[in-house]
Amino acid sequence: MIAGGEQTHDSSVMDQVGDNIIHHVSNSSLDHPLIHLPLVFGIDLSVTKHVFMLWIVAIVVACAIIIPIQKYLQKNNPVPSGWMNLLEMIVKFIRDSIVKPNIGSKYTETWAPMILTFFFFILFANGIGLIPIFDLLGVLNRFIFQVPASDNHNIINALLHGGVTATGNFNVTAALAVITFFTILIAGTRAHGFINHWKNLVPPGLAWPVYIILIPIEIIGMFVKPFALTMRLAANMTGGHIAILAILSFMAIFAEMFNSATTGMGVALFSVPLATAISGLEIIVVLVQAYVFTLLSAVFIGMAINVHH
Amino acid sequence: MENLHLFGVGVGLGLIVIGAGIGIGRLAAGAAEGIARQPEASDKIIAAVNLPLFLLEGVAILGEVFALLIVLMK
Repeated sequence: MIAGGEQTHDSSVMDQVGDNIIHHVSNSSLDHPLIHLPLVFGIDLSVTKHVFMLWIVAIVVACAIIIPIQKYLQKNNPVPSGWMNLLEMIVKFIRDSIVKPNIGSKYTETWAPMILTFFFFILFANGIGLIPIFDLLGVLNRFIFQVPASDNHNIINALLHGGVTATGNFNVTAALAVITFFTILIAGTRAHGFINHWKNLVPPGLAWPVYIILIPIEIIGMFVKPFALTMRLAANMTGGHIAILAILSFMAIFAEMFNSATTGMGVALFSVPLATAISGLEIIVVLVQAYVFTLLSAVFIGMAINVHH
Repeated sequence: MENLHLFGVGVGLGLIVIGAGIGIGRLAAGAAEGIARQPEASDKIIAAVNLPLFLLEGVAILGEVFALLIVLMK
């Protein structure tokens, strides 16, 4: 929100607002990554801000989830206290109300760890994107250390739009959905055997013309499931941020339209509370989207295991 | 005439909101009615409503993303 505003002085605010918003929610360009890395097999492995956010998420998940649970499991007297109470509640909720009803009690212990991993990773990735820590760093950088916005080599300037949700990038959610895709295949194969899993895609005992229509539909459906997972999560996480930024941008737009700073301040009276309210809505969306991704993954895995034909 | 795509996006966004609103409204009405008739089944009703609700929401948000893409990719 802070950085893009001063890059082009000659164009009007209306032209800058769209670029600024897109710059905020999208990944950093490959010309100015945080860390330059060489090409490997023609793939640019440079560290961009979304990759950096993924590292932060990994560190936070390790510190907040993995280490406390490992410590707790090593204790002789396993009575949960403090943070472990909350973790145990969440784990129990996921296992009993997402995994068990959808996958079935036989395979609950097999697939609950993966569903839990999805849940905690997506929850933290979504949640960290809402915390404007990097925007705060940007304010400090600009007004206290006096670094100009055009300095692309300054590390905080490169990070400035870093407070984005890593799950708002389609590539990240696509990777998660690919994991779900292969998990569905593996779950079906483990439950019914390789041949039977593919036979289970269509119900047996129908007339053969039906199969001509049904088999392509089922194969398309196999790929549509992870695609829908990808789009839902990424679009939800991007959409909320765009809405907040667009509502905040009304201040600049109206101030320029009426050519007075007072109008901008007047609009701020409406747009700042509205943006705050949408931030509150975003907190719900963060929780719900983590829940939805895990729920749908569990449902799809369960569909491969419990075939109702 | 070169800004006609913006007109289409505006109408399309309205249609998305109408469709999602009708869908979510019908789901909520059905769930509320079911719980009112049979309060002890509320857990099952909520669990059954959740999944179609999220699928509906996913379709609506896909439509919004494509509307946004039309504006940005022009």
